[in-house]
Amino acid sequence: MKHHTRAAVSVIFRIVLACAPLLIVGSLWGQPGPGDSKSAQKFSASSIQIERMDPGDVPMPPEFRVAIYEHLITEIGKTGKFQHVYRSGDKDAASAPDLVTLRTTAQSFRKGSQKQREVTTVSGSSSIILKVNITDHAGKTLVDRNVEGKVRFFGENLRATYDFSKKVAAIVQDSF
Amino acid sequence: MSIQNPIVNVSVATNSFRGAGARIWARGLFLLAVGAPLMFFPASARGQATDTPQAAPSVVQTDVKLVIGGETIKNNAQGTLSVVGSSLQFATGKAKVEVKASSILDISTNEDSRQDITGAAKVVTMAIPYGGGRVLSLFSHGVDVLTLEFTDANGGYHGMVFVLYKGQGAPFKKQLVAMGAKASVPLAEPAPTNK
Repeated sequence: MKHHTRAAVSVIFRIVLACAPLLIVGSLWGQPGPGDSKSAQKFSASSIQIERMDPGDVPMPPEFRVAIYEHLITEIGKTGKFQHVYRSGDKDAASAPDLVTLRTTAQSFRKGSQKQREVTTVSGSSSIILKVNITDHAGKTLVDRNVEGKVRFFGENLRATYDFSKKVAAIVQDSF
Repeated sequence: MSIQNPIVNVSVATNSFRGAGARIWARGLFLLAVGAPLMFFPASARGQATDTPQAAPSVVQTDVKLVIGGETIKNNAQGTLSVVGSSLQFATGKAKVEVKASSILDISTNEDSRQDITGAAKVVTMAIPYGGGRVLSLFSHGVDVLTLEFTDANGGYHGMVFVLYKGQGAPFKKQLVAMGAKASVPLAEPAPTNK
């Protein structure tokens, strides 16, 4: 009886030893990377205020700034994550209890050329890169990353602003 | 008899003149009473005149494209842009948006170009063999891009982008700035011609 028990223990011990490296490898594989950790964490807020884009030192035409802002309002509203999407300066935002604030700062801008894009297919792309920062009511940063919007082939240059806003909306969707 | 009659007639005539004078005075006083507030408050009178919906638009442009920013109007809708009273108005067949000149934080015009062939026709050109569709992409025309930044009644920031025929953006900017709209970049004066 004792002999059988010892044999069983040794077999189980060997199986555990054999499985240990697999478990270690599996746990390392399954660990979220530094980029994933941001999207894995979920925050909650009932309302968001979108501030005006800060152009910084980047020379960006006003129509791009306005298009970015208006697309952001539309696309973030479409996510359905917030009861209210407040515009910058809206007096009602002050009374919102758990308000988060989205700020965008221009990092780089290339206007490109629709004609060049469509004729050559390899040059003339439009690109905008903005830093997207979302903070809570206390000012704590919840999301902080650079997002690029671009038009590679078809469409007007302003379409880069739509591409950017869709990507920001996807980040908001993952974060809230 | 013939002498007395004129005396009687004169007295009657004087009485009638007195009655007419009193009526004129009464009318004058009435007009003064009605007109005095208008004379002392010219601003309110001007405000009433500009707010009337019948005010004729001072600058009008048809076939304007609203690229983005129309709350009740879809993006890329075509319509008529006009300055009516003290507001900028964009109207399509179905809806209308209005922005008060005084609420405009910044107004700017920019030159750009747009393809002559767009939409479904653009997709069709892709089927043209030997890169014919790409050649058609070379055809474009100059346009003016009019950008507005303004606040709503609640203080919320808004923006609108219009695309107009080339050279049509400046009159709108000039008119709106004259009515109190702000512009970070002043309107460029036309270059003097050397004769």
